[in-house]
Amino acid sequence: MYKYSNIDKKIIADRTKQFQNQVERRLNGKLTEEEFKPLRLMNGLYLQLHAYMLRVAIPYGELSSTQLRKLAFIADKFDRGYGHFTTRQNIQFNWPKLPEVPEILDQLSEVEMHAIQTSGNCIRNISSDHLAGLTAEEVEDPRPWCEIIRKWSTFHPEFSFLPRKFKIAVTGCLEDRTALLVHDIGLRLIKKNNVIGFEVFVGGGQGRTPHIAKMIRSFLSKKDLLNYLEAILTTYNQLGRRDNIYKARIKILVNELGVQKFKSLVEKNFVKFSNEKLKLDKNTINDIFNFFKLPKLKYSSNKLPISKNKKFNEWKQQNTLPHKISGYSIVLISLKPPGKPPGDADSRQMQELANISDDFSFGEIRVTHEQNLVLPHVNNTQIYQLWQQLDILKLATPNIGLISDTICCPGMDYCALATARSIPISQKIGNNFKKYFDQKSIGDIKIKISGCINACGHHHVGNIGILGLDRNGEEFYQITLGGSAKEDAAIGQIIGPSFSEKKLISAIRRIIKTYRKNKKNASEDFLSVFRRIGIEAFKKDLYDNTRKKN
Amino acid sequence: MIILERKTEKLNKYKRITNEFFSANDFLPTSLLSLYQWQEIKKQGIKKNFQLAIEINSDESSESIKDSLKKFSMIQLNFKTFKDGRPFTLVKELRIEHKFKGEIRASGHILPDQYVFLLRCGFDTVEIKKEDKEIWIELLNLDNGLYYQP
Repeated sequence: MYKYSNIDKKIIADRTKQFQNQVERRLNGKLTEEEFKPLRLMNGLYLQLHAYMLRVAIPYGELSSTQLRKLAFIADKFDRGYGHFTTRQNIQFNWPKLPEVPEILDQLSEVEMHAIQTSGNCIRNISSDHLAGLTAEEVEDPRPWCEIIRKWSTFHPEFSFLPRKFKIAVTGCLEDRTALLVHDIGLRLIKKNNVIGFEVFVGGGQGRTPHIAKMIRSFLSKKDLLNYLEAILTTYNQLGRRDNIYKARIKILVNELGVQKFKSLVEKNFVKFSNEKLKLDKNTINDIFNFFKLPKLKYSSNKLPISKNKKFNEWKQQNTLPHKISGYSIVLISLKPPGKPPGDADSRQMQELANISDDFSFGEIRVTHEQNLVLPHVNNTQIYQLWQQLDILKLATPNIGLISDTICCPGMDYCALATARSIPISQKIGNNFKKYFDQKSIGDIKIKISGCINACGHHHVGNIGILGLDRNGEEFYQITLGGSAKEDAAIGQIIGPSFSEKKLISAIRRIIKTYRKNKKNASEDFLSVFRRIGIEAFKKDLYDNTRKKN
Repeated sequence: MIILERKTEKLNKYKRITNEFFSANDFLPTSLLSLYQWQEIKKQGIKKNFQLAIEINSDESSESIKDSLKKFSMIQLNFKTFKDGRPFTLVKELRIEHKFKGEIRASGHILPDQYVFLLRCGFDTVEIKKEDKEIWIELLNLDNGLYYQP
């Protein structure tokens, strides 16, 4: 794991001091709320429906047990005993009080954490693959690259007042677990002629006008990474729209100019402004890579244990993956038990999980963009014991990748922008598809739920997407089908008129029924069936059936 | 308003030309022109051989001045709102692409919290309210010169 240098420590400490000053100026009226807003946002502090919300950065989703313990402490001392893991691998606290926020930031800095650039119109937390460094098919570990980009983008003097927020993801695999193609910039490590470099995608995004990112460089050499990112950001800062907040993201610029024109402007800026000092030399890269070595794992032929315990077997089948070092497994911890808000963890769970990670996984925890957690290196001989401990904490729900493993935004329960609630929908889905056997027989499927068009719940890229709308004061839900956030990224298509909260679950059941009816074989998943038979077949089944009932 | 160059208050030698007078003959070396005035006198033909100062708003295109930079001793980039970050890139273009060596000043709606960023991007001076001087200097004093970027 990355460890702070003295420079990192000093920069974070100074930032806390500066924010203390800003809070004082706000409290004594020297800063207007309009002026304070972008400053607090750059420190991750939002004003929500009921209170402030503090979003703490978890760079590329990687946490140590010490850090998780601190998050548990903050949840208890400054919040209401829980935290919420987000789709960008961060954690949110929903109830901090403004005067206490500098103290929270102080506490975070003790464990090398902060809330810098987790919001505001700047370069946000860099996100990555939660299996980074753990799989055999990876071209290269993306985390060191995330760290290099994190440093470069932190308090960037030129790019802290962009037209709109800016999100970058990096992956080292062809199989994408980062939602790469719905990021402002997506970087994929690839190997060409035995040299590793990056494929560069730009202009992906969700919100009210979703776009899949387009490739603007098929191979970027490692040394040029930061200069090329600067060229993209320069072009965006020069030309990104500032007249309309809904048209300010880079996806709109790329789309309005056309990808070829955008690319040529970036290439020109790359030539004009490339700076020798930003070129990455081998030593700098190696120094960062040294932080991300695997812990000392011993190869063995130990397999996962065979047990008569049905619950354990279900969990083992669904929530573990093979590690690239034989004898170890990657354990996925679902934060989607039936009836709970997706992504929430209470302070006891965080505290205990920190201890568990010390005992079973070298003190390392990862956060996934699907709002679950990962214990990256678990010895196969300890798996049963681990499961027992997780089960006591209600952290052993066997539903990773299944229908109840939904992504969900906070919705109208917390968010000032929401037009409908989304957490209760997720809870209903969880309660309706509770049995492992039922879920397993449906197979891999992604349901993603947003409480408004801003799409924080990624509904556009859900295999089934659910968008909450307000219709004359009543919550209605629009369904889209066929979206994907993976390497085959696609924006879902709207199936037809929306459903009331009451009818939504039966509509989802009907969609699942259509899928099952059309499945060619047991392993054909939802998305494959959808792509083969198209939306019309689903539409006909759904609305004919609904009409008959009415 | 005062002009601050790092921590030192500086005399503002430039004066705006009010809109009623803009003939190419009316300007002095200390005149501060709007972009519109500059475009007008450019049309009339520039007779004087001294340098001028020009103010460009953050939402205006600076293209028309880029071939005449030698005519300016000072370029003032005026932020319509502190959230409009375009001048942070424009100053880079002026310094690196066009090798502009004169003074570049930030004015308009800017915050003391942006001071270090402004200086690091290539601004020399800021135009601020006299009563804000203390807080601008205070926030500059918080800067320890440690940055992640070159």
